[in-house]
Amino acid sequence: MRLSDIAIGVSMAMLALLLSYLIVYGGLGPIATLNLRPLAVSFLNYTYNPWKIVYSAMSPEAVTAIVWDFRGLDTYFETSVLFIAIVGLIALFRGANVVQGVSSKGLSIIVKTSTKLVAPLILVAGASLAFHGHLSPGGGFQGGSFMTVAMTLLAIAFSIEFFQQKKLTLNRLLAIRCIGLLAIVVVSVYLLVKAVLLGGYAYIFQNMPRINSQYSMPSWFLDRPLAGILFFFNLSESIAVIGGLTLGVVLLLLREEELKAIIGGGEHE
Amino acid sequence: MSEMLPVIMAFVAALISIVATWLAVQERDMLIATLFSALQSTCYALIYYLLMAPDIVLVYLPVSVGILPLITIILIKKTERYEE
Repeated sequence: MRLSDIAIGVSMAMLALLLSYLIVYGGLGPIATLNLRPLAVSFLNYTYNPWKIVYSAMSPEAVTAIVWDFRGLDTYFETSVLFIAIVGLIALFRGANVVQGVSSKGLSIIVKTSTKLVAPLILVAGASLAFHGHLSPGGGFQGGSFMTVAMTLLAIAFSIEFFQQKKLTLNRLLAIRCIGLLAIVVVSVYLLVKAVLLGGYAYIFQNMPRINSQYSMPSWFLDRPLAGILFFFNLSESIAVIGGLTLGVVLLLLREEELKAIIGGGEHE
Repeated sequence: MSEMLPVIMAFVAALISIVATWLAVQERDMLIATLFSALQSTCYALIYYLLMAPDIVLVYLPVSVGILPLITIILIKKTERYEE
């Protein structure tokens, strides 16, 4: 047994001990203490508060309210980090494309049939996570990555040429990604543009009416809380994530022989 | 006892994750090591759930059990399966 093995084992055991210590004495989880910290109290007070609408996000789900309203700009830059990573991947794989007719058979009929049954269920679960992100746990990124799992299942079971045959080319996936990101930008400046055109004041990433600004996104859809920008952000984020991650996975799944012909750039000994 | 149950479950999940990590580090076959790593991620997802963070569970499950092992398996397919 080497020294590094012992170090890994000891550090992992420390993690378990630390975790149990946190749970027992730190007041986390189901044994959360009754006295909350002031920050938590203010978030709980203003997440859904129809009486003080100028401070509220009007969303029953506190995490989504924090992620897309109280710290919306942070989340925007997180999304752009992921987008820049995808841009790097596309730049590496520029010119690559799915070559048709090499082996479009995919896996066996058993795998194909079970994938046919499972993939729509995963897609629907991901969509419900994304569209209900302002009402229940979940959100744009969660729903988008769930749907990406279904798309990668399809890509592996039916081979990547299946996407090509269904007119879901690499450029289309990139276009889906860009549409999602553009929708995020449009939603975040929508009220600002409206205020500039109609007169008055508004803020970037504004959701409900704020002090000095009476403009507001819709907070109710029929009889359901819509939470204004949160719903639209979740929707566009899930579209951006499903486009971007599926594009990344399909690029990684490309056959190496074809890639070498495109990217190769000669032999470097 | 009932209020200690989540704590005990989190502790058991943490212990299982240690074993899974240990096996993933020791394993020479990279494909099996990926599966052990997915098992460790499942334990962590359970711990997140017990710590009352369902949002993190929902993002951790598809990424760490779905996409990350998938990308690792693609990497193994393009390189070598057995560590020397």
